[in-house]
Amino acid sequence: MKGKADVWQGTLALMVLKTLQLLGPMHGYGIARRIEQTSAHHLAVNYGTLYPALLKLEQEGYISSAWGVSDNNRKAKYYRLTRAGRKQVEKEAREWERTTAILARFLQPEEETS
Amino acid sequence: MRRWRALLRRLRQTLSPRPDDFAAEIDSHLQLHIDDNLRAGMTPDQARRHALICLGGPAQTRERYRDQHGIPALDALRQDLVSAVRVLRKNPGFAATAILTLALGIGANSAIFSLVNATLLRPLPFKDPDRLVMIFATDGRRSDRFDSATYPDFVDWRNQNRTFESMAAFAGHRSTLSVGDQTALIQGKRVTPNFFDVLGVAPVLGRGFRPEDQEPAANRVVILSDGFWKRHFGGAPDALGRTIRISRADGNHVAQGFDELHTVVGIMPPWFHIDQPDEEQYYVPLPIDPSRGHGFLRVVGRLRWGVTLPHATADLAAIADRLARLYPRTNLTVGTHLMGVNDALARHIKPGLLIMLGVVGIVLLIACANVAGLMLARGATRQRELAIRSALGAGRGRLVRQLLVESVLIALIGGGLGLIAADWTARALAAVVAMQFRVPRIDAASTDVSVLAFTVIASVATGICFGAFPAFASTSPGLNDALRDSGRSATGTRAPQLRRALVIVEIALALVLLAGGGMLLRALLAMRATPPGFDARNMLVIDLWLPSPRFAQLQDRASFFAAALERLRGLSGVKTAAFVADLPLSGATDSESFHIVGRPDPSPDRPFNAGFNIASGGYFRTMGTPVREGRDFLDSDGPATPDVAIVNESAARAWWPDGSPLGQQILLPITRTTSQLLTIVGVAADVRHVGLAVPPRREVFVHSMQSQLSWAHFVLAVRTSSAPNALADSVRAILRDADANVPIARIASGDDVVARSMTEPRLYTFLVGTFALLAGALAAIGLYGLMSYSVSQLSHEIGIRVALGASRADIFRLVLAQGVALAAVGSVIGLACGLAATRALVGLIKGVRPNDPVTLIVVTGVLLGVALLASYVPARRAARVDPAVALRAE
Repeated sequence: MKGKADVWQGTLALMVLKTLQLLGPMHGYGIARRIEQTSAHHLAVNYGTLYPALLKLEQEGYISSAWGVSDNNRKAKYYRLTRAGRKQVEKEAREWERTTAILARFLQPEEETS
Repeated sequence: MRRWRALLRRLRQTLSPRPDDFAAEIDSHLQLHIDDNLRAGMTPDQARRHALICLGGPAQTRERYRDQHGIPALDALRQDLVSAVRVLRKNPGFAATAILTLALGIGANSAIFSLVNATLLRPLPFKDPDRLVMIFATDGRRSDRFDSATYPDFVDWRNQNRTFESMAAFAGHRSTLSVGDQTALIQGKRVTPNFFDVLGVAPVLGRGFRPEDQEPAANRVVILSDGFWKRHFGGAPDALGRTIRISRADGNHVAQGFDELHTVVGIMPPWFHIDQPDEEQYYVPLPIDPSRGHGFLRVVGRLRWGVTLPHATADLAAIADRLARLYPRTNLTVGTHLMGVNDALARHIKPGLLIMLGVVGIVLLIACANVAGLMLARGATRQRELAIRSALGAGRGRLVRQLLVESVLIALIGGGLGLIAADWTARALAAVVAMQFRVPRIDAASTDVSVLAFTVIASVATGICFGAFPAFASTSPGLNDALRDSGRSATGTRAPQLRRALVIVEIALALVLLAGGGMLLRALLAMRATPPGFDARNMLVIDLWLPSPRFAQLQDRASFFAAALERLRGLSGVKTAAFVADLPLSGATDSESFHIVGRPDPSPDRPFNAGFNIASGGYFRTMGTPVREGRDFLDSDGPATPDVAIVNESAARAWWPDGSPLGQQILLPITRTTSQLLTIVGVAADVRHVGLAVPPRREVFVHSMQSQLSWAHFVLAVRTSSAPNALADSVRAILRDADANVPIARIASGDDVVARSMTEPRLYTFLVGTFALLAGALAAIGLYGLMSYSVSQLSHEIGIRVALGASRADIFRLVLAQGVALAAVGSVIGLACGLAATRALVGLIKGVRPNDPVTLIVVTGVLLGVALLASYVPARRAARVDPAVALRAE
């Protein structure tokens, strides 16, 4: 159980960071919707879990937050990547690619033989 | 790195919580979602419902957010602390009782620990003090483990050992210093040239000693203490190279040639001293002394790296064995005894301190038991609160933790108060103890980091100790029953039994302390009832020194005695006056070996030995000591008349059990070649010399106008017709008139001398007694608390009994009997432990009798009486219970 949660935590953080990298400053709701859309609704994000993750990233200094006004005139808290955050996205993305590449090598031969 | 940064932020949030904007953020999240949903065509209700579902449970989200925000464990601790503070504030009576009780218990421990810390624990300010060891000679004949070493023995130890890097010796040195027309007595140290090197300390100015400084022909040099330098040279650096005249005052033995100009070659740093600072104002090189029979040195050595104390002990024991074979005449019974330098310097006070540490430990235990009892009682009344919290989801661990936080908080507050009291107490105690024991550095007893750490650890341990029992007892798994019950029967579980057990333990411990205090008190009272053998009232005593070259010859001493006595006897208010070398009860004793004419020595190598004393004419009359046979010394005894001696009753009984010693002669060796023949002319009553509890020794008195012994220390005893202290100034003036060069060390009354001989027992009796009374009071309070609590809890049952026909006297007796039964059980246990524990007090002061039945009976009786008193009030209250009211309170 715990291991699974950790993986999810790690990947959620990467998704958040990547989303902010692509979209620029964004509020929590927007990030959640964006993750949902990007995953083509394969991932149903429980929006509640997002906020502790955002707080953790902020405490680690990868993102910063400030209150702003949304397109349709609602007050919302906007998150933006910091310099450390940008570096972290690159790093984590590279690591993730390497992990998936390794995993893929395990999975591919099976596909070829079948 | 990032993780640390996050942890720091969370810690900051925990320590000083700032409001977060989480609610606003969630609100805005919902608004944005609802807006989207509305745009997608939902009704407002649907839009809101959908948004809330997607968000998940807001409470759980909030919780997780908060956990991420701070550090949950610490947050909980903070909450517990806040609620503990609230609980204590709401129950000021309980809080004050518990805190004060613990403040007493912890404060007592901190105070005694301060002394232990200053004397035994704090490292000495020397280089690598762990490797410094003091080496004492031992004397198998006198079973003395702390004897002085002789110079040749020291040299052999130093040269033949394989375990010491270096070894130095030192001895005391008294001298007179003339400044203007005043002659002052000062004390310094004679040290081997390497003394400062062994300790790893260098002079701040000038140089240390060199090996050639020890040669007899060398120029006389002196190194000054910082204090001496500041006092006499104003701290000027040009003191180096100046000369001072040091006249050796204690010419008891050998070593001439100190009445010379000494050149100042060095100044020591202000913190440097190995004994009391006033006993080492200067340092001079120790002259070589060839006698293997004359021990006067203390030896300190620095162990080689990696050598342990047992290793070095074995090494020196082998050397001592070799010396015993080589020099059987002097060294047959001489061994060695090694001790770490800290322990060695504090050895007089160490057993006392350890016992006091035990005593205050017991007081703290009783305080703990008392507060634990209070907590248990409160736990019972808090059952409903705890049950509700448990029903709302608090686990047992959480409840126990909260109760423990409460008790640790109480203990810490108590410890803080105790520390303030302890700081003051320790300083006061140190001042008293320093006077009595001359332990170096005890005056430095103060609250430092170690004492602070000790107090904090003691407080936390105390808090857990008295908190754990009640916390587990009052959060027992059956807690939910408390919600269903009316609250009365919730106390019917284990808590009351625990409280009874605690009170029994308290009474047992208190009895042990009271028994100890009682035995010390009994010994002290016995001491006070012991006649010292002389009349101390209306007596003035003046300590003085006769410096060596000026008074080296008998006629010089005799003419000073005669001049002073003649002038004194003319002073109004003076009845009689006399000189004596060692005043009774002053602690000073000197012994000499002698032969009895016409009788063989006890063994070929060992002649007779007795305490020797020198006294002037009229000494026994002046002291009020009866002369049993023969006569007192007369003023007419002198150089021209036969040399006379007076023995005391103990000596007469020992050596002339069947006849009179009068007319018998003894031969006292003075130097290698000369002796003095003394004829016994009187037998005087015994007096106590070392202390009131120490049996009198055998003693021989020699007349001061005839004695060839060149002792330098004398006491002038003046019998006055009124208050002695009023005469102090006139007596001082007369002595200066008789000889301006005689330094006066001290003026005191006879009563002071007797009182001072009892300072040590009085100090211990006072300390143990005070703590014992404190312990007794705490135990009584504990018993009272338990009894009145159980009466209030049992008022229903009492009501039923009364309704069924029990008389008020029955109820009264019932409650009283319960209290006394508890005390009795505690006393029996206490007596069993006390018999073992009080044996530790025997070595503390002379005259303590362990297992003294009278003390044990009296103490037990007093304690039971107090228990009766403590149960009396609750019993009366129980007897007054109105059955109608008690039963209606249902």
